[in-house]
Amino acid sequence: MGIRFVLMVNKQGQTRLAQYYEYLNLEERRALEGEIVRKCLARNEHQCSFVEHRNYKVVYRRYASLFFLVGVDNEENELAILEFIHLLVETMDRHFGNVCELDIMFHLEKAHFMLEEMVMNGCIVETSKSSILSPIQLMEKAS
Amino acid sequence: MEQLKTIGRELAMGSQGGFGQSKEFLDLIKSIGETRSKAEEDRIVLREIETLKSRLSSPNTPKFKLKEYLIRLLYVEMLGHDASFGYIHAVKMTHDENLLLKRTGYLAVTLFLNEDHDLIILIVNTIQKDLKSDNYLVVCAALNAVCRLINEETIPAVLPQVVELLGHQKETVRKKAVMALHRFYQRAPGSVSHLISNFRKRLCDNDPGVMGATLCPLFDLIMTDVDSYKDLVISFVNILKQVAERRLPKSYDYHQMPAPFVQIKLLKILSLLGSGDKKASEQIYTIVGDIIRKSDSTSNIGNAILYECICCVSSLHPNPKLLEAAADAISKFLKSDSHNLKYLGIDALSRLIKISPEIAEQHQLAVIDCLEDPDDTLKRKTFELLYKMTKSSNVEVIVDRMINYMISINDSHYKTEIASRCVELAEQFAPSNQWFIQTMNKVFEHAGDLVNSKVAHNLMRLIAEGFGEDDDAVDSQLRSSAVESYLQIMGEPKLPSAFLQSCILVLCVCVCGLFNFFIYLFYRSFVGSWGNMGLQMENILPHILPGNCVTWQRLIRQMT
Repeated sequence: MGIRFVLMVNKQGQTRLAQYYEYLNLEERRALEGEIVRKCLARNEHQCSFVEHRNYKVVYRRYASLFFLVGVDNEENELAILEFIHLLVETMDRHFGNVCELDIMFHLEKAHFMLEEMVMNGCIVETSKSSILSPIQLMEKAS
Repeated sequence: MEQLKTIGRELAMGSQGGFGQSKEFLDLIKSIGETRSKAEEDRIVLREIETLKSRLSSPNTPKFKLKEYLIRLLYVEMLGHDASFGYIHAVKMTHDENLLLKRTGYLAVTLFLNEDHDLIILIVNTIQKDLKSDNYLVVCAALNAVCRLINEETIPAVLPQVVELLGHQKETVRKKAVMALHRFYQRAPGSVSHLISNFRKRLCDNDPGVMGATLCPLFDLIMTDVDSYKDLVISFVNILKQVAERRLPKSYDYHQMPAPFVQIKLLKILSLLGSGDKKASEQIYTIVGDIIRKSDSTSNIGNAILYECICCVSSLHPNPKLLEAAADAISKFLKSDSHNLKYLGIDALSRLIKISPEIAEQHQLAVIDCLEDPDDTLKRKTFELLYKMTKSSNVEVIVDRMINYMISINDSHYKTEIASRCVELAEQFAPSNQWFIQTMNKVFEHAGDLVNSKVAHNLMRLIAEGFGEDDDAVDSQLRSSAVESYLQIMGEPKLPSAFLQSCILVLCVCVCGLFNFFIYLFYRSFVGSWGNMGLQMENILPHILPGNCVTWQRLIRQMT
C-alpha cells in the first residue's frame, strides 16, 4: 500500500529532505526530484494539489518556500495524503516551534526521525503527535 | 524578519555546546542555503566531499564529531553527489552504545544503502543484538532498520526475535514488530505464512497504535485472499464504530476528527471485504451510513473521509439509501470551488457509474466544466470518467473530444493511453462503418506511431474483407471513401511511417477492385516484412493486373 517517497524541496529545486520507500539510485532521484518540482511550480494555487506522474501520483503542498511532495500509488486517498502532509508539518511545528526551512536544514536527522515514526513500509503507521515525538524527546533527554 | 530569525537561531545553536552543531556545520548549511546557482552549489559540495574524505580517514575522531560528518554526508547525497566513500562509517556508527549515535547510524545506512547492498551483511549482526536490548528505544531503532534493510535472504536471521517482540510490554515495540512482520510478508510471503494469526491477534491489541498499524498488513493480506478474512467483517465494523464514536484517546484526533487516517484504512478494508458479497455488505451498511451522516464537509480531512465512504459504497452490494447519500455528497463536491473536491467528485462519479448510470446525466454540466478546465489533472480525471460513460448514444461526441484532447498531449506515454482508449471505444460502440473508418484514420494520423500495429492490421482487414454489408454498392462506396481519405492523407508532408504503410496497403487492396481477394492473400503472407512485399508486388502484380500497372508502380515507388 502506498507511499513511494516523501520529499521536501524548495522552489529553487534544492532538496531539503528525501525519503524513498522504494529504492532509486542517485541519478534516478535527481531526475525525479527535478521533474516533479518543475511540474508543481507550473501550477497555481487554484488547481488540484495532485499531479499525475508516470504511473503514480504526487500529492503536493507548499509552505512558504518549501514544497512537500509525496508520491503515492493510484489507490491512495489523495485528500487524506494532503492532510497527512499537514499532520507532518504540525508535528514538526510542535517540536521546533513554528518550523521553517532552516529548522529542517539544521536538524535534518530529527526531521527524519519524526518521519520514521509516522511512515513504515510506505504505510502511515502513527498519527498521534505525542506518540511520534516521545521517542525523539526521550532520546534527546538521554543524550 | 527572516534574517533576524536566522541569526537568533544561530546564536541559540552556538550556545548548545556538546553535541550541538559546530561552526563548520552551520557555515556549510548557511552556504548551501544561500547558493544562487547549481554550479555554485556543486562547488560547495565538492569542497565538502574533500573535507569529509580527509576527516573521515583520520583516526581518533570523537564520536559526536563523526555523527556530524555523517549528517554532512547525507547532505552530499541529497544534493546529488556520491558519498559512498563514507558508507562504512555509517555502518560503524550503528554499533555505538549511545542511542542517538546508534539511531543516526541506522538512519544514515537506510538512506545510503539499498537492501541488496554488500554492506548490509555487516549490519544484520548489530540488528540481531539490538533486537534483544533491554532498552526498548534501542529495540525500536533496530525494528526501524529491519523494515528498511532486511530482504528475503536475511529474514531468517531476525524472524524469531521479531515474533517474540510482538508480545513486548511496550506498545511502540509491538507496533514496530507488526510492521517488521509486514515487511517480511512483502519480501517473502512464504516466510510468514505460519505466522498470520499474529496479525489477527494484534488487531485486538489494547493499544490503538498497534491496532492501527496492524491494519496495514491485514489490508495486503485481504487483497490477496479476501475469503479467508470474511469472518473479520464484524470486528472491523466494531472497531470503526468505536473510532467514529470517539472512544480512542484524544491524541489521535486530527482537526476535530477522531483518528481519521485509521477510519480511512478501515473503510478501505471493508470495501474489499464487502465487494461482490451481499451478506458481508449488509453488515457494513449501518456504520458507513452513520459516518456519512456525521461527516464534516468543512474540513479537508472530513471530506477525505466522506470520499472514502463513497468509494466504499460503490464497492458494496448496491444499497439505494447509501447510493442516494453518495450521490448527494458527489453533488456537493462538484459544486465546490475547490479543485481538489471537484477532482474527488469526478473520481467518485466514475465509481458510481457502473451501479447507477443515470447519475452521470444528472451532473453533465459540471462534468463539461471540468473537461474545459485548464487544470490538467482535473481534465485528465474527467476523461477517465468519459471513457466509463461511453455508450452508443454518446460515443461520437465523446470520442471526438477525446481525439482533440489526444492531439494536445505531449507526453507520449499518456498519448498512447488515450489513443488506445479512443480505438477501444470506436471498436466497441461505432454507430456506423463510415464513422469508424474516419475515426480510426484520425487516430492513426495523430498517433499512428504509438498505436499498436495490430490495430492497423485489423482495420485494413476490415476494409479488405468488407464489412458484411448486404449491399455491394455500399461496401465499395465505403472502400472508395476510405481510399480517397488515404490518398489525401498521403499527400501531407509529415506522416508517421506505420500509418503510411497502412495507407498503402489499403490502397493496394482497394484499387484492384475485383482482384482484392488476390491482393489480400499477398498481404497476409508478407505482413511481416514490408520490403519483401514491395518487391514481390512489383514483380508479380503487373502481370496480373495490366490495367492498373501504372498505379501500382507509382504507389510502390512512393513507399520504398
